[in-house]
Amino acid sequence: MGTNKEIATQVEDGARLVASSSDGKGPGTALAPRRRVTAQTLAAAQRDISVSEFFAKNRHLLGFDNPRKALLTTVKEAVDNALDACEEAGILPEVWVEIEEVAPNRYRVAVQDNGPGILKKQIPLIFGKLLYGSKFHRLRMSRGQQGIGISAAGMYGLLTTGKPVSIISKTGPDNPAHYYEVQIDTKRNVPQILNGKGEGVDIPPGEAGVRWMQRHGIRWIDVPHGTRVTIELEARYQRGRGSVDEYLEMTALANPHVTLHYRDPEGNEKTYPRATEELPPEPKEIKPHPYGVELGALVSMLQETNAPTVHQFLIGAFSRVTPSIAKRICETAGISPRSSPKRIGPEEAEALYRAIQETKIPPPASDCVVPIGEKLILEGLRQLVKAEFYAAATRPPAVYRGNPFVIEVGLAYGGGPTVQRITREALAELLAESDARTLRQFLITQFDGLGPVGADKIIQEAKLKRRMNPAKLSTAEIDRLHHALSTVNLQEGQTMTVLRFANRVPLQFQAGACAITQTTTQMNWRAYGLAQSKGSLPTGPVTVMVHMASVWVPFTSESKEAIAAYPEIQREIRLALQAVGRKLKMYLLRRQRVQHEGQRRSLFLRYLGEVADAVTAIRPVDRERLLERLVAIARKKTAEADMKLDEHGRFVEDSELLDGSVIIVDERQQGEEAAAVTPQVQEAPAR
Amino acid sequence: MAKKQTKSSTATAAPRVFTAADKETLSKLEALADRVIAAAEAGRDPFLDIPSRTLSNVRWCPRKKIIEMGRSTNRRQLFNLHQAKAFMQTLLVAKGAAELIHAGKTLSIRGLYYRLKHRIKGTSENTFETQEECDPIIEDLEVLLDSLREQLHLYADKRGDMVGNIVLVDSGDEIDCSRMGSGGYAIPSIVEPEVIQFKKCTAKFVLHVEKGTVWTRFNEDKFWQKHNCILTHGAGQPPRGVRRLLYRLHNELGLPIYCLLDNDPWGYYIYSVIKQGSINLAYESPRMAVPDAKFLGLRSCDFERCGLSDSVKIELNQVDRRRALQIAKYPWFAQKKEWQREIKQLLDNGFKLEVEALISKDISYVTEVYTPERIAKRDWLD
Repeated sequence: MGTNKEIATQVEDGARLVASSSDGKGPGTALAPRRRVTAQTLAAAQRDISVSEFFAKNRHLLGFDNPRKALLTTVKEAVDNALDACEEAGILPEVWVEIEEVAPNRYRVAVQDNGPGILKKQIPLIFGKLLYGSKFHRLRMSRGQQGIGISAAGMYGLLTTGKPVSIISKTGPDNPAHYYEVQIDTKRNVPQILNGKGEGVDIPPGEAGVRWMQRHGIRWIDVPHGTRVTIELEARYQRGRGSVDEYLEMTALANPHVTLHYRDPEGNEKTYPRATEELPPEPKEIKPHPYGVELGALVSMLQETNAPTVHQFLIGAFSRVTPSIAKRICETAGISPRSSPKRIGPEEAEALYRAIQETKIPPPASDCVVPIGEKLILEGLRQLVKAEFYAAATRPPAVYRGNPFVIEVGLAYGGGPTVQRITREALAELLAESDARTLRQFLITQFDGLGPVGADKIIQEAKLKRRMNPAKLSTAEIDRLHHALSTVNLQEGQTMTVLRFANRVPLQFQAGACAITQTTTQMNWRAYGLAQSKGSLPTGPVTVMVHMASVWVPFTSESKEAIAAYPEIQREIRLALQAVGRKLKMYLLRRQRVQHEGQRRSLFLRYLGEVADAVTAIRPVDRERLLERLVAIARKKTAEADMKLDEHGRFVEDSELLDGSVIIVDERQQGEEAAAVTPQVQEAPAR
Repeated sequence: MAKKQTKSSTATAAPRVFTAADKETLSKLEALADRVIAAAEAGRDPFLDIPSRTLSNVRWCPRKKIIEMGRSTNRRQLFNLHQAKAFMQTLLVAKGAAELIHAGKTLSIRGLYYRLKHRIKGTSENTFETQEECDPIIEDLEVLLDSLREQLHLYADKRGDMVGNIVLVDSGDEIDCSRMGSGGYAIPSIVEPEVIQFKKCTAKFVLHVEKGTVWTRFNEDKFWQKHNCILTHGAGQPPRGVRRLLYRLHNELGLPIYCLLDNDPWGYYIYSVIKQGSINLAYESPRMAVPDAKFLGLRSCDFERCGLSDSVKIELNQVDRRRALQIAKYPWFAQKKEWQREIKQLLDNGFKLEVEALISKDISYVTEVYTPERIAKRDWLD
């Protein structure tokens, strides 16, 4: 399992906050009319609060609000850590996720990777101690920033089931595998090892080890090195939005270099094979960029620095500040480059701050942020969504608050929504599992891109009632529903599906609070050929994925499921969406043109027979030959317009569309043939 | 298919002898088909250049005092989204005409519409949906081939009646128009000399009224007997048969034509069509227009002159006003001060008058006072 663990500032702040409010010297007691306790008695009750204890009482802060989310968070933490560990070691990750229902509402989650393994003495600390890790103190892109660490998941398991976390880790083919059962001592925030008399067990390599594991009922997928963590917890498994299945699917999309194996509680196995054999380049650690620094932060940095001069401070504390840039900043601020940072007063600091904003400084190095890349986004989208058109755009790196970040966007257009591909059995299962109160609510929450309009259409088509209890449908009713799901045209009622990612980690909750959703909603998609009513997501068979890669992703709250709406971030998201939007529009125009041409052709073709009849009635020539000639002209005519002109009569170069950031699954040929054979009924054209 | 039918009919019946006119029309139709064949063989887009039947393509000839068709044409292409169907329809009509000539029969334009209307194979679309769709195509073919409707073996539904002191022969039957009872002689669609010959005429002029009701009033009062004239009407805008007959009565028998029409823009235009020819059928003007026809009334001044009551006024609407201004600008009216005054007064009045308005004064006022007075005083517009 991963060697890194981290904790977010927000949680830490939260802890401080709670701790101080239990302080007896607070204003609450000062205002009390009568003294009930003395400072001495209060002092006796005042003591340290263990972080572990705090989290045990505030499990929602860690993403364990409800049993369903607890399962997801556990899988998520384990997988995120596994991927981070593999990538840092330079290993192409392969991850196994196995969920097993051991008792009603009790699940055993096992996640194994082919990572570098963990040194024996580190294992208990990593899995049995909160706030132990390496990621918090550095400015570098990593997944781990999202979560609170696997130890929190272990703690949750311990609290709900009393079972310890079991870990097997192997660092090489000939090394023994370490086997630990660890639990966290919540009072003292220290790990406790339960097996091997507090020392853990070493499983020898080779046949002997395999036999030993079989004897003790321990599952281990034979990899030369890797880590497997197993946590038993109280949870609830449910498919649909916000599920483990969705998380893994989205993870596969954003991590095309990862192979994921998944076994769900019902024993279904699914593998997401990797789309590339190339590991993303290793992100570099960086110093903050001067543009993003706020005045207060600058003042405290000046106070804390060891640099003897302001000049050296600027060069040393920030990225992209060269001696000449530092000199220019000092000149603009009217401060001597040789003055001591400690002596900079508030006014001078402000001058310095303004000088930084005025001076032209190159953007931060982009190698600290590693985007997925347009090609791989396209690959991933193609595997996830069946569509006719795919486009991707990766923006150049930008900066918010001194943190470089990259926004990338993928877009898939066309194809039916997920609803239409669901099997009868899967639908019945979903219905039985659902905790939605009404059928309508069930449809809206279970299926992405199915808005209220679409749900109503389906229910009406199935001749069911909106307020029916989804779990109590009869077999015949389920049949009708399934039929309606696969037949109703949802193109109009369908809303855009937005998939959100931060540092390759899917964001599954709090869509409304997220800068990605907000920016997508604010965009004028009508300009790009989609229907959209004001203040809502556009409609149509569209899936959009937005990925923010950054050394530090700003989340709106401790639950880390929504990106904060910094103007710089929103701007980049907008620009990226516009880039794919333009490509979409070109595609839609082309498609429209193709349809238009198809209609034109069928219109010509339908009259040609009559023309040939009339002509041969006047002149005795071969009707078939004449018709053949006329049809040939019709094809030539429509083919020409088809290739070269857009609706404004301008020339369109196809290479403009097909520049590598776009995939088009062309079904045109078939469509045209169909149109030619059976001309569709349509109103007569105006003369 | 049509070809086969023709073949079989010619095989069983004795081979038809085509008249010179039929031969000419047939060769024109064949040339039309040949153009499509040639274009198809050459891989080009077949097209027809149809003389345009619009105001912009008519020319006022001050010398002849008729409207003539100009030379501009509209190209109708097979491979044009908006013209494909019309192109197909034009050829269908050509096919229908060829079939009629081969069979030696004639059809009404409505009959042709039924003859040609059918479901297009593999669609739910008809070749023609309504007769209104078919009629302009027939006119297109007429101008395209420079052949008259009757040369295509087609005729329009007949409209209009005649009564008066004239004896004519219609398809061999002698008809005395002074002995037609209350119904009158229905003017046929085709009144060419081959069909109708004038045998004897004692009438001194022709009074053309706008519609049947007014015509009946005149007939009942035996106006034509008292004034020795011929009385015709064209049920509104007169069809070609009526116009052609007026032309022949005027040119062959030297009868002056007087028109009694409503006092509104539509009445003016009916007069204009009788006198100069219509814009739509400008190519027919030389054989239909009667430049000497006179406009007896109703005039804009008649409301006061005849002392009519307010109840007969019909207010002019926006369309009437626009149409009146349009007519005032037609070159054949623009030069005439009296007409400009007349139209201006109509607009100033703000109301229009139907001929029937005169009946409000007295049942026979129009036949016994108004019309005789106008003719006697030679009080008309030219």
